[in-house]
Amino acid sequence: MIRMNRRALLGASLGALAMPALPRTTMAAGSMSAAVYPGGWDEALRGVLAPALKRAHDVDVAFEPLFAVDQIAKARAARGVAPFDVFVLDPGPRVQGIDLNLFESFDPSRLANRAKLPEGYADRHGAGVAAQVVGIAYNPKKLPKPAGWRDLFKPEYASRLGLTGFGTTFGTVSLIEMAKVWGGSETDVEPLFTELRKILPQVAAVAQPAAIPGLFQQGQIDVMYTNTYTVSLLKSRGVVIEFALPETGGVAFGTTMHIAKGAKNIEQSYQYIDTMIATDVQSALSQAPYFFVPVNTEVTPGAEVPMRSIADLSKFVTHDWSKINPLRPRWIDRFNREMAK
Amino acid sequence: MSRLLAPGDRLPAILILALAALALLILIGPVVVVIVTSFTTSQALRFPPPGLTFRWYQELFDPVRSAQIHRAAGNSLLVAITVAAFSTGLATAAALGIARSGARWARAAEGTFLAPLVLPGIAYGLATLMFFSWLRLPPSFWLLVAGHAMIATPFALRTVGASAAGLDGSLLDASAALGASPWRTFHKVILPLITPGVAAGAFLAFISSLDNVPVSLFLGSASNDMLPIRLWGMMETSLDVRVAAASGVLVAVAFLLLLVMDRMVGLVRKMAG
Amino acid sequence: MEPKGAWRLALPLALAQVLFFLAPLLILAATSLATDENLSAVSGQAWAEVLGDSFNLGAAWNTLRLGAMTVLATTVLAVPLALLHLAAGPGLKKLILLAAVLPLLTSVVVRTFAWIAILGREGVINNALIATGLATAPVPLLQTEHGLILALTQIEMPLMLLPLIAAMARIDPVLLDASAALGASLLRTLRRVVLPIALPGLLAGATLVFASAATAFISQSVIGGGRLAYLPYLVWQQAMVVFNWPLAAALALTLMASVLAVVTALSALGRKVAHV
Repeated sequence: MIRMNRRALLGASLGALAMPALPRTTMAAGSMSAAVYPGGWDEALRGVLAPALKRAHDVDVAFEPLFAVDQIAKARAARGVAPFDVFVLDPGPRVQGIDLNLFESFDPSRLANRAKLPEGYADRHGAGVAAQVVGIAYNPKKLPKPAGWRDLFKPEYASRLGLTGFGTTFGTVSLIEMAKVWGGSETDVEPLFTELRKILPQVAAVAQPAAIPGLFQQGQIDVMYTNTYTVSLLKSRGVVIEFALPETGGVAFGTTMHIAKGAKNIEQSYQYIDTMIATDVQSALSQAPYFFVPVNTEVTPGAEVPMRSIADLSKFVTHDWSKINPLRPRWIDRFNREMAK
Repeated sequence: MSRLLAPGDRLPAILILALAALALLILIGPVVVVIVTSFTTSQALRFPPPGLTFRWYQELFDPVRSAQIHRAAGNSLLVAITVAAFSTGLATAAALGIARSGARWARAAEGTFLAPLVLPGIAYGLATLMFFSWLRLPPSFWLLVAGHAMIATPFALRTVGASAAGLDGSLLDASAALGASPWRTFHKVILPLITPGVAAGAFLAFISSLDNVPVSLFLGSASNDMLPIRLWGMMETSLDVRVAAASGVLVAVAFLLLLVMDRMVGLVRKMAG
Repeated sequence: MEPKGAWRLALPLALAQVLFFLAPLLILAATSLATDENLSAVSGQAWAEVLGDSFNLGAAWNTLRLGAMTVLATTVLAVPLALLHLAAGPGLKKLILLAAVLPLLTSVVVRTFAWIAILGREGVINNALIATGLATAPVPLLQTEHGLILALTQIEMPLMLLPLIAAMARIDPVLLDASAALGASLLRTLRRVVLPIALPGLLAGATLVFASAATAFISQSVIGGGRLAYLPYLVWQQAMVVFNWPLAAALALTLMASVLAVVTALSALGRKVAHV
């Protein structure tokens, strides 16, 4: 009697929760699975790309929310059993994936929309589907607009600064740019550590990327490095935040999609990537509430993005990840040790 | 506490009460912050909130806009309930075996049984994925349950074990001497005595699975999207207030469940003895 | 139920653990002794990096200390609350039990935000300190060891309280009345009557709290921040960002071995106490 009641209760609540989740059992021409960054990307691709793919090719896509590093780790641990059909990656993990032979060889000529991408955005590894522009984000109510990376080391900014390490792509490129203003280079970040050591006692927070938006919103930090996408997203949610393009130039890199080695649904995967770069999809993704930086040359980037079209991307600072990747483990380790109290 | 107090006891009694009050404050305070935040009128998580609204709960229950959250919640609940059942069953049997045996194996076994507790989840998740891939088993519901159950069982074992350690051996011997079958002894003598421990163990196993991030990260898949992973993404990139609302719902549901079950079976009293 | 056949009761769990825990663990151990994750060749490199490096050993020490401090803090707070529960009427009992499980019901994800809101420089505690004049400028709490221990104390307290309350539930109220009637002071009653019965629960709680606090990777890294080095974060970083799986495996096994040593000691103590 008692057990029955409890079970009935749990059953009822479970049923209520599971109801909207029942798979829509319509017959489709195909189905496939794709990794997607959790959060904003997940919502955007479910909201825009999935319906467009269904309309254009009658293909159903199941998304698995995973950050770039988690996708690589998972594919690597799975030893050749593709955990999903399509990766979405930043340049660092992309180069790792190529080195580890995690991708099927990619044939750009199978993309109907290839001509709408700038030269070099589709190659034998995969295709670019969005760009990211990295710079400085600050709270305009608390701080004047910083001119560039060097300003972050001035006491008024350093004491409000949230630092993150070389663990993410945006963190790595930002720290490299800071190293450059102190005489370093893409392969030499030593001058950065010398300068960081001087300001470290005042720095407001040394945090995991996951904590940074919360720290900013709650006033623990008022300046950080991040991409335009995060700034637009937080701004649209009422956070007081502005993006500043450093005087030495904004940093840009591409987000790419790749077909997983041993993927079961190759044809659908090409259709998925092709739909992702189609003009209507890229146009919808570049607007509120998604704020992607489009790679389709027919689409104009949103207001927050400091460029007129993807062609302007050539004016931004880019990095050679085949040089950075071999050095990065040492930088990560070094950052841990330098920051430790 | 009055019946325990002697004239010289005022100071220790006040100290105990003060610490107990502080404990309550620390337990409840952060939860209040979460609940209050879930009613914020701001578009992003913000405390203190500029104003109060039910909007985020409406959004959370919106079957279209929050469909993915509902799906993930359903998956997580199903896994957690299955895990709690398996973990509690395995742990209760093992705890009774250990408590009833004075042998050296029992001590060694207990240490081994608790080992999953101390392996960092992320390393365990990675290792299980490597192992299952080696067996050519793709991530699935049952592998996820197995992975969660290994992490959850020690919680149950430890609390059931604490209850079982206090079992009076002579009571069980008497029951056996009077001709009761082992099952009858378990049902009529042991179970009533260890119920608080078993209830606490099942609860801990359930929650441990429901809130697991690292194992789900590796053993989850596109068809087994888990709630904490989804909430994590929503919180990290956009400070989505629905994350706090989801917590508010969980607290409310658990609260109601406790009240209802208490009315029906006196569960709270049972947990408290 | 005779003790002779007792081992059979532990068999199902043992089998499940061999299959789903021991086997993956062996893979982890093999990986820690290899040059890469494909186990191409045997190498002691990863272990040399862990055991011969003061930073990694320091992180191990910090992790164990964090677990111990959390056990201490939860004990100091949970024992009085469990006593209050023991003495309380039914209404207050219910309230305490509810409060005891509350932290478990707020997901680890949103909990981290709550602690930023509480410990931050514009957070609840600092606002209160400044409003009451106890401080003139914000006190650093977030990203300090103290702040982290406070947060972990809330997060892990249920693991101490629930076994403690369950153990104390077996105390016969008649015993307490008798002790008081015989003129024993409160402290004496606690020491002679309550403590012996509550001790297995306390040790069970200490085990759970220690292990959970020492491996609480999300709380450690998000609330503790990048300036405090703990092993679970280093494991995650080596496994997921650097992809140095042999080193990640060696760090994970180091963490496991050191925490397990403490837990086993607590367990042995628990058995000894239970058989007194």
